[in-house]
Amino acid sequence: MSEDRRAGARPSGRAWRVAGRRRQTGTVFYVTAGCLISAIFVVPLLWEVLRSFEPTQEITSPPSLAIFSHLGIENYRSLLVGSDDVARNVVNSLIVALATALLTTIVATLAGYGFGRFRFRGSGIVFAAVLIGFMVPFQAVLTPLFLELHDLHLLNSLVGLWLFYTAFNLPFGIYIMRNTFAQVPDELVDAARVDGASVLSTLTRVLRAIVMPGIATSFLFAFLFAWTEFLGALTFLTSSSVYTLPVALSNVETGTTYGGVNFGYLTAGAVIAMVPCVIVYASLQRFYVRGLVSGAVKG
Amino acid sequence: MAGGAIAGTEARRHHGVAGERVLRRVPRTRRERLEARAGWTLVSPAIVMVAVFILFPLGFCVYISLTNWPLIGPYHFIGFANYTALAHNSVFLQSIVFTLEYTAIVTVPILVFGYLLAVFVRSNRPGASIFRTCVFLPYIVGLTTLSFLAEVELQPGYGTVNVVLSKLHLASINTVWVQNANLALVAICVLVVWLASGFTMMLLLAGMQGIPEQLYESADVDGATWWEKERMVTIPLLRRSIALSLIISVVGSILAFNQFYIITDGGPGTSTVSLVMEIYETFNTAMHVGAASAMAVVLIIVVGLITFVQFRILRADDV
Repeated sequence: MSEDRRAGARPSGRAWRVAGRRRQTGTVFYVTAGCLISAIFVVPLLWEVLRSFEPTQEITSPPSLAIFSHLGIENYRSLLVGSDDVARNVVNSLIVALATALLTTIVATLAGYGFGRFRFRGSGIVFAAVLIGFMVPFQAVLTPLFLELHDLHLLNSLVGLWLFYTAFNLPFGIYIMRNTFAQVPDELVDAARVDGASVLSTLTRVLRAIVMPGIATSFLFAFLFAWTEFLGALTFLTSSSVYTLPVALSNVETGTTYGGVNFGYLTAGAVIAMVPCVIVYASLQRFYVRGLVSGAVKG
Repeated sequence: MAGGAIAGTEARRHHGVAGERVLRRVPRTRRERLEARAGWTLVSPAIVMVAVFILFPLGFCVYISLTNWPLIGPYHFIGFANYTALAHNSVFLQSIVFTLEYTAIVTVPILVFGYLLAVFVRSNRPGASIFRTCVFLPYIVGLTTLSFLAEVELQPGYGTVNVVLSKLHLASINTVWVQNANLALVAICVLVVWLASGFTMMLLLAGMQGIPEQLYESADVDGATWWEKERMVTIPLLRRSIALSLIISVVGSILAFNQFYIITDGGPGTSTVSLVMEIYETFNTAMHVGAASAMAVVLIIVVGLITFVQFRILRADDV
């Protein structure tokens, strides 16, 4: 459109018009290719959403055109309010993910403020310790953590899982928040100090606007981690009442506790697991990219 | 309090060398002391969390790996016996070989597809940002969830993967992917490359957006082709981002667990047991605490070294 108008504004510019048309063709090709590429990534996900509304006997029989005539919410209903009570596991997951995101953000913000704005002896060493924490893959220390949580009576408990998730999200959060605070101009902080603001009120009032993106970034990464984490929850949780959603789904999948394998339930449960990720990501997308730019991400 | 005296010595020791910088760091005036105290207060909750739930387990892991730790009762040190036993543990060795094989297979496709996708979506043509989001969606949804769905869709007779492939005459509708180690590996690699390419795309895209537009303009003036521009401008300036995305993807592959546990459960036999899965099984099923810890120490050293390089790259960029 705008290309056309520009070409039109130069009545004698035949070359402009040709270039504009070529541009337009290029754009059409680009958008077409983009839609095809996007389809490769999105269609399978949408297909699974559709599948989750199929009754189990449809999912587990060779495909026919009748597929679309039996769609319904039976899988969701049985999964969530049936005797399996997976609703409870969804709530567990939500509580742990939100609590992890909150605690990570608060503790990382305080620490980032300390590392980024305060001079104190030993801060370099302590920050190095945090970075060592970043280098330790949580998958490798589950055995000692299991024994430790056992002694702390935090095994098979959402509180234990929450503290474990928070600790392993902290190094990234602290790294992000330290860089965020370090980028705050000195004049701003000094001005607040001169005005007699206390340490905490400087943090909350003056820096809020500048620091908010860092906070959103560490919140988002911690939430997504805790919502999708599987191995730790599988190791630390042993009774179905405290299972998080992925662990509950792995029991649906193996058919150990929910009366045999039910692929309808499994598909519906997986779709439920997708929803918060998509919502949270869509609303906080730019903060996610900010986190990626820092480069301090774990795969 | 006692820190003041030590700090004073420290300042004298460094006085001649680092001069002002060190002096400013040492809490001498009242204000600086207050600042130091506030700093410690702010970082202490984080330090406690990291120390209790990461650093202590790390040390504990090394400690346990040197003992014959039982679940109940006394234990004693057995030196490196757990480690030497690993050298004869065929399932463990096989899991290492398998994990490296898997890593070798997925790393390059993830980088190449991620790069090409980044080149595609870095354009400022209409739709580019929507395409970005779409390609990234599988990664956001996560491997755990997608592994459950893959499990359903790989079922013989009715799984979508088999239905589509049989319609295209590429495979039988009754293909049992998880009964053959190679087929299972192929299916999981395709899933992971599909999922992780979007992540690498986002990392590389972030790097690409930092490249000044003028460089491409002057390359255009010189009449450079698309590939020449990529080779002479983008790739050299993207070295850091490429290195980071390689490191993150290699570490992620070495730590693979969910997809194998959920889709193949290590089978057939133990042919698709990954390293992390072997540690999990050794502890959770076999309850060999010492052996599992020794395996974990090996894993920590490998991943720690790679992550260390990641931070060196970040550091080099900061300075």
